[in-house]
Amino acid sequence: MRHQAVFFAGVLWLAVLLAVAVLSVGRARSTTERLVALDVAVLVLMGLLGLGAGAVRRSYPLDAALALALLSFVSTLAAARYLGDRRPFEQPEGPGEGGTG
Amino acid sequence: MTAWIADVLIVLGLAVMTLGVYGIVRFPDVYTQLHASSKAAFLGVSILLVATALGGGPSILARVVLIVALLAITTPVAAHAIAQAAHHQGEPMRAPGAVDQSGTVRRLPQRHDG
Repeated sequence: MRHQAVFFAGVLWLAVLLAVAVLSVGRARSTTERLVALDVAVLVLMGLLGLGAGAVRRSYPLDAALALALLSFVSTLAAARYLGDRRPFEQPEGPGEGGTG
Repeated sequence: MTAWIADVLIVLGLAVMTLGVYGIVRFPDVYTQLHASSKAAFLGVSILLVATALGGGPSILARVVLIVALLAITTPVAAHAIAQAAHHQGEPMRAPGAVDQSGTVRRLPQRHDG
């Protein structure tokens, strides 16, 4: 089918983008840049899974994308707060942090 | 008809997604890269998922709504946490004309391991 070919072409293009994103994880200059690149790589992978679900017209790849979204959010938040305060799972203290921060 | 709309959305989503990844490669510092990651990449994924939902049944539609809503809530929070961590670590702003208007110069917290 012609329309499904568009989905498969999109999956291929996103695979290329995923490779670029993973390479940019490797060439990041600092840990936070690496974190951003990893975040984008996960988003690209989620788009790939979504297009894959559209290509095969099944919903199971979207379950994986949902799990990936949750896992990516928690890991990004934990890593970022570890880099910032060295205490990822506690309430930040001191002026200028937390609250309206 | 919906299949053609889905095709257009896929092309649009791929273009936005490509811009997001290109931003990660090209932008000079974390703060500008966060623009690409938190806006372009999220928007691209959302458009692609909507394109998927157009051609699928209710099970696909329910999951797409769930994922897009979840991403819309979590992406700004994650981007804010990353930016706060970068500022806390003293990441330089390499973008031309960038000004740190926060008024605070943050240093790494003291390590206790000597």
